[in-house]
Amino acid sequence: MRLLLAGLICAASMQAATWYVTVAGLGGEPDYEQRFQAWAMTIDNILRGSRTDARIETLTGAQATRERVRQVLERAAQESRPEDSIVVMLIGHGTFDGSEYKLALPGPDISASELGALLNKNRAERQLVVNMTSSSGASLEALRKEGRIVIAATKSGTQRNVTVFPRYWAEALRDPSADTDKNEAISALEAFRYASAKTAAFYEGQRRLATEHPVIDDAGTGAGVRDPSGEKGEGRLAAAFTLLRFGAAQAAAQDPAKQKLLARREQIEQEIDRLKYQKAAIPADEYKKELTKLLLELARVQEEIEK
Amino acid sequence: MNPWRRAASTAALMGAAMASAAALPAQTPETCREHRRFGRLQEASACYQRLAASKDPYLRAEGYWGLGRHMDANDAFREAVQAQPKNPDYRVRWGRMFLERMQPADAQALFLEALEIKDPHAGAILGLALVASDGFEARGGELARKALEADPKLTEAHVLLATLALQESNYEKAQEHADKALAIDPNALEAMAIFATIDLLEDKSSPPSLARIVQINPVYGEVYATAGRFFVLNRRYEEAVALYRKALELNPGLHKARAELGLNLMRLGYAAEARKHLELCWEAGERYAAVGNPLRLLDSDKNFRYIRSGNLVLKLHEREAEVLQPFVEEEARRAVQTLEKKYRVKLTRPVQVELYPDHEDFAVRTLGMPGMSGALGVTFGYTVAMDSPSSRKPGELHWASTLWHELSHVYTISATSSRVPRWFTEGMAVYEETAVSPDWGDRLSAPVIFAIRDKKLLPVAQLDRGFVHPESPEQVLVSYYQAGKICNFIEQKWGFEKLLEMLRGFGARKTTPEVVREALGLAPEEFDKQFTAWIEEQTRVTVEGFEKWKKGMGRVAELVKAGRYEEVIREAPAIRDLYPEYVEGGNLYEVIADSYLALKNERAAAEELQRYARAGGRNPQALKKLAQLLEQQGRPREAIEALQRLNWIYPRDEELQRRLGDLLMAQGDAQGAVRAYRAVVAMKPLDRAAAHYNLARAYKAAGQNAAASDQVLMALEAAPGFRPAQKLLLELEAAGDGRTASK
Repeated sequence: MRLLLAGLICAASMQAATWYVTVAGLGGEPDYEQRFQAWAMTIDNILRGSRTDARIETLTGAQATRERVRQVLERAAQESRPEDSIVVMLIGHGTFDGSEYKLALPGPDISASELGALLNKNRAERQLVVNMTSSSGASLEALRKEGRIVIAATKSGTQRNVTVFPRYWAEALRDPSADTDKNEAISALEAFRYASAKTAAFYEGQRRLATEHPVIDDAGTGAGVRDPSGEKGEGRLAAAFTLLRFGAAQAAAQDPAKQKLLARREQIEQEIDRLKYQKAAIPADEYKKELTKLLLELARVQEEIEK
Repeated sequence: MNPWRRAASTAALMGAAMASAAALPAQTPETCREHRRFGRLQEASACYQRLAASKDPYLRAEGYWGLGRHMDANDAFREAVQAQPKNPDYRVRWGRMFLERMQPADAQALFLEALEIKDPHAGAILGLALVASDGFEARGGELARKALEADPKLTEAHVLLATLALQESNYEKAQEHADKALAIDPNALEAMAIFATIDLLEDKSSPPSLARIVQINPVYGEVYATAGRFFVLNRRYEEAVALYRKALELNPGLHKARAELGLNLMRLGYAAEARKHLELCWEAGERYAAVGNPLRLLDSDKNFRYIRSGNLVLKLHEREAEVLQPFVEEEARRAVQTLEKKYRVKLTRPVQVELYPDHEDFAVRTLGMPGMSGALGVTFGYTVAMDSPSSRKPGELHWASTLWHELSHVYTISATSSRVPRWFTEGMAVYEETAVSPDWGDRLSAPVIFAIRDKKLLPVAQLDRGFVHPESPEQVLVSYYQAGKICNFIEQKWGFEKLLEMLRGFGARKTTPEVVREALGLAPEEFDKQFTAWIEEQTRVTVEGFEKWKKGMGRVAELVKAGRYEEVIREAPAIRDLYPEYVEGGNLYEVIADSYLALKNERAAAEELQRYARAGGRNPQALKKLAQLLEQQGRPREAIEALQRLNWIYPRDEELQRRLGDLLMAQGDAQGAVRAYRAVVAMKPLDRAAAHYNLARAYKAAGQNAAASDQVLMALEAAPGFRPAQKLLLELEAAGDGRTASK
């Protein structure tokens, strides 16, 4: 998803930090233990390889206790500033007893309300929780907060089977095709859409009934949606939340000399957005002509930026 | 639904329950039935109405049943059984009603309950025989004979045996049993219908048996319905439809015949008329699955796209039509051109090829009912219906092989005016699959190995039995294999011309023994001897080594578990070669390839996977792995070949088409790349921008700049900042292609 220029400039000048906290919970069986750890470590490796400004904490195996999770989140809360971002990613077995969601950890489990309370203390205004466990849909309500994006691998607490969503979430962070708008950055919405589609394809390919239906809530309603519609105000926050950047986008965003061109680029992009919005109301030929004109100009501006 | 059950008598439905009915002096079920039997339909109706008013719940049940008030009849039967729980006859009659209402499981339960009360009970055993024959189970005949032991005068049991014999095209035996039925009851119309059916199947225009039936009952439309069912079994669908129409002309109240007419019209593609008849049945209260399911399927027709292409009509589901059309169209055209030449048959109208992404829809299209888990395709005259690749797990279905199989039926059936026996048309269809490519078609499976080892292959003269009345589900598989191999054997020993000569013989209404004698100059027994020796030699290594192979598989599994890959590589090939056709889950080709990979020997792994592909391996992951290895080894053309195999198995795979497109582009095959990238776009991938951009590149390379411009615009519409697409747009603009011009 395209980032707002203002956001980029702000990010560049104020050196905002992003916290990534990944927790792989108790597997119970060696196979699950291994699988959960592998997914968490894949995410960890990708993050470490692509972000120099990031604070990365990955807890797996015996390390992933409730106490450690609390310590990490409390430290993040103490050190974070409003301009920072925090991403919490949970992998493993989740349980839901009808009233409370818990993530299974070695020793005592941690509940969604406890996690919610820890995150509420954090001053970072941009918060993303990706709960990829079984029954994770039941955590939406406890984790919801205005301005916070919450993604769950299942639509409810009753989807109790082990999930494959984390596998594809990790894949989204390294597969360039997840960057559907080709702006060299993966937004939370792009990653969600990628992982959701891959999860659905997994079950379809296996000719199995899907036992997980990922949802996202970035409107603070506590009710996740499977296919966020921009028109209903869903997915906007997630679209603007950058998980990862790569390539020239990162460099350009930090070069003051290019700011004018970047501004023009954003202006054209906004014009394209407006045109696309009016597509149904404009004769097809006219739309195409106008779109071509704008796209050509955009391509030329981009060439200038890259010079 | 098995139509054969209804070929059995309705006149003899009463069974042992007659004893209690006979005791009643006034209206009895027997009296009502007699009215109906002799065509006095008004009297029959009045009779049943009087029964329905009876205080006796059993008589009421018979009355309601006769009037078609099945729910009321069901309640009355329940009441009768509660009143007399030890009466087996009521349960048998109740079961017969369930059977008539297409609920064989409920019927069977009642027959078994009756047998618990009284064993033997001829009516209950006959009921079980009818249930078994409903499902084309071989034990139907055995049960009918048991029923006759309990009551040698059970006309219906003889009629059932005649029906079963006729299903196997054993006219002599069918006539023998029908004669026995008539000896007991000279007015047994169902037995006469067997004679009439045989005459009609033999194309006799005015069978004397028909005249006799009309004398007894001028509105006995059932005779045409019975014949219709046998014409369906012999794949003479158009004629079957005409017979059902005649049945309804004589008696428009034959709802079952109307339902069958509707189903067969649907099979032949006459959707509007099919719907009309099925709706009439539904409105008449015939609300069972065999009517409701086809109606629902007809309703879903709006979700399909019809594509006319020369002498082909493709019917593809909207959600996959874009992706499948190029592949199916190309393969169907190739098949039609090849088969037309081989069989020297010019089709008189277009062939319709229908692909169903939901297997249950395919089953309903075929039988009117869901199920048929093993069936992949079916041919009705000029219509082929089959599972689409997305109806099964990737790798389970070789759709192109199935398509050739079914299309070959169109030719063999057409060449013989539907007179080809089942075994020969199936044999030719299997033969044609492997004629396209040896790795197509079915592999030698364990049931076939056991059948060869245990000398259980059927004599050629009786091979139809393996399809029509298999002793077990495995026997159907074995029969397909055997029939295919018989055609291979004939082609190898006598040449393809002999197969055509045999087809001509069948077209001239000759029997299998006659055709074998005349075309091959051998007695069928001698043919069996020679074929057995040939197939035993062909499969000797596997049949003799099967146990050793099984043991070896266990040993290799242990080695793999222990990570002893060198030993796997040393020992597994010899085990693999004991049963080289085994390419299913856990096959040794993949195990050996994985072992090579564990030892970082990519070249040997690729060779092993190539061996797997040649042996008929279809696991998409393994074939994709092979392509990847070949690509890494700088062997792009072989990588393309490996991926193209998957187009015949599971083309609806975004990754496959993208990789194939990339490889073809790199090899300069722009048109091939266009096809692959078009498939990617049609799958509506998440990464739309990249998909359109790749297609734009391919179009540009193919010199189609206008199409390239359209695609690059679509890419940039999705992702305006997509640099490679921006560059391509500028290139196209610089090249002066009008389509991108912003002026």
